[in-house]
Amino acid sequence: MEVLKAISISKNFGGVSAVDQFAMVQRENEITGIIGPNGAGKTTVFNLITGVYPLDTGEIWFYGKNITGLPSHRITDLGITRTFQNIRLFRNLNVLDNLRVAYGIKVRYTVWEEMIRWPRVKREEGETEELARSYLAYFGLEKYGDMFPYNLPYGLQRRLELARALMANPKLLLLDEPAAGLNPKEIHQLIETLLKMKEEKNLSIIIVEHHMELVMNICKMLYVLNFGKKIAEGEPKDIQRNEAVLQAYLGDEG
Amino acid sequence: MSSPLWKRGVRGDFVEIFKSIGVRGPMEFYIKVLEITCLHTILVLGAYLMTGLTGLFSLGQGGFVSIGAYTASIAYLHFNVPFPMAILMAVLMGSAVGFLIGIPTLRLHRDYFLLVTFGFGEMIRAALLHLAQLTGGALGIAGIPKLVDLPMILISILFITFLIYNLKRSRFGRNCIAIRDDELAASLMGINVYSHKMKVFILSSAITSYGGALYAFLIMFIEPNLFNWLESAKLIIITFVGGVNSITGAIIASVVYYSFGEFFRFVDVWRDVLLALAVLFVTIFRPGGIFGSWELSPTKLFSWRAKKG
Repeated sequence: MEVLKAISISKNFGGVSAVDQFAMVQRENEITGIIGPNGAGKTTVFNLITGVYPLDTGEIWFYGKNITGLPSHRITDLGITRTFQNIRLFRNLNVLDNLRVAYGIKVRYTVWEEMIRWPRVKREEGETEELARSYLAYFGLEKYGDMFPYNLPYGLQRRLELARALMANPKLLLLDEPAAGLNPKEIHQLIETLLKMKEEKNLSIIIVEHHMELVMNICKMLYVLNFGKKIAEGEPKDIQRNEAVLQAYLGDEG
Repeated sequence: MSSPLWKRGVRGDFVEIFKSIGVRGPMEFYIKVLEITCLHTILVLGAYLMTGLTGLFSLGQGGFVSIGAYTASIAYLHFNVPFPMAILMAVLMGSAVGFLIGIPTLRLHRDYFLLVTFGFGEMIRAALLHLAQLTGGALGIAGIPKLVDLPMILISILFITFLIYNLKRSRFGRNCIAIRDDELAASLMGINVYSHKMKVFILSSAITSYGGALYAFLIMFIEPNLFNWLESAKLIIITFVGGVNSITGAIIASVVYYSFGEFFRFVDVWRDVLLALAVLFVTIFRPGGIFGSWELSPTKLFSWRAKKG
């Protein structure tokens, strides 16, 4: 089943074409990779899918629903969440609250009930905390619930961001360079976690990544971008032999 | 007036103030100071919600104080609306104006938002000056009865603190802080940033105009310059000195600042210098405010007492 379908999406920044007529299809319970040299427009694709920037051309469909032009918070509500290349946690909320924020869309109480601490608020807050703690445990962060995110080591911050994205109960997860700054051991853990998550939560995942080992190991499909244009797509083993891809990565002489 | 600072006795100074505000004894003076202080605390709570919790720097709070004060006084004096109804009307008026002002301004970011709210506050002041038939213009409105007393203000503070504290510790408060920290990340976590800011803005306007309405019936005389942008700026500064993440800090800083001003009149013009120094020291040595994110909660109070006893 098609989870996400991007139809010739484009984005210009002041005449510079960041993404040019890009198209992709994401199938259910698969991991897809978007790779390409620096500045190829990979992150822009994520920003277009999540509604951070409006599209110049094209359409994006999610589970058969046209989500083109929807505001970011609606898109999250429909079931797409993401992480960021440069970690963006909430620095004045502790680890537990960072997770709880992401569950806000699932909570049903109203502001009026909140003001007077109506029993329903207490109950749902309890449920939220329980869920948040279970995600902390899932990512081995249970000891750090009361700490503030930027006091954690870098690797744990990455995991926390992943946990926060999951807390919103997504159907599609977008990971922007999840392995950046991680050591080989942590990358290995990450690969295991991603595969486990995918199976247990029936997730579809799109990864933007430089780390080839990770991408080649877990992605079923790869899209290669260069200067905003798609230069190749296919299974990892085909991409590895693709002329255009080699040229983009190694230069003309290669 | 020109005698040196160290020669001017506290007692002599107090007598002067007693005379000027027409109170008869020290007790009455203390109560008066407390009333004014606590009333400002209500306004600080309004500013806390907006600036402290959500990071919206508004210099228009003074405008809402005036709206509250004028709505309640005019309703009471000119239209014979009963006192509680007049207060309610002030709150509704404040919320409605907050909503209208919020529509264009809340899409703006930090400095632009600050400038536009500043303009709004001054606009209200100018409007009050020129709508003389209704507001009395520069002469203001006199002859407002004193219907507000200390217990009433204290109950209001307790109630408003209760509301804000409840909001802070559940979804509403978390969303506020998330928006303050990183608006983009907040919207990607499913928060409708604009509509959330709107809720904050309306609520803060309601609290502030409630404070303004009480203010009118406390000091019994209002005029357009009652609350200018400098007073609005003080509310923000106090919130910051007390601790952006702490209601406790905001309340304590407010009580200290406003009562300090009254009790230490003998330091005179140095009052503002002292405040400036305090702000300077806090921002350098405790950027999170004096109380940081520490919060006095009923459970903490209870466990502390249990430990002692």
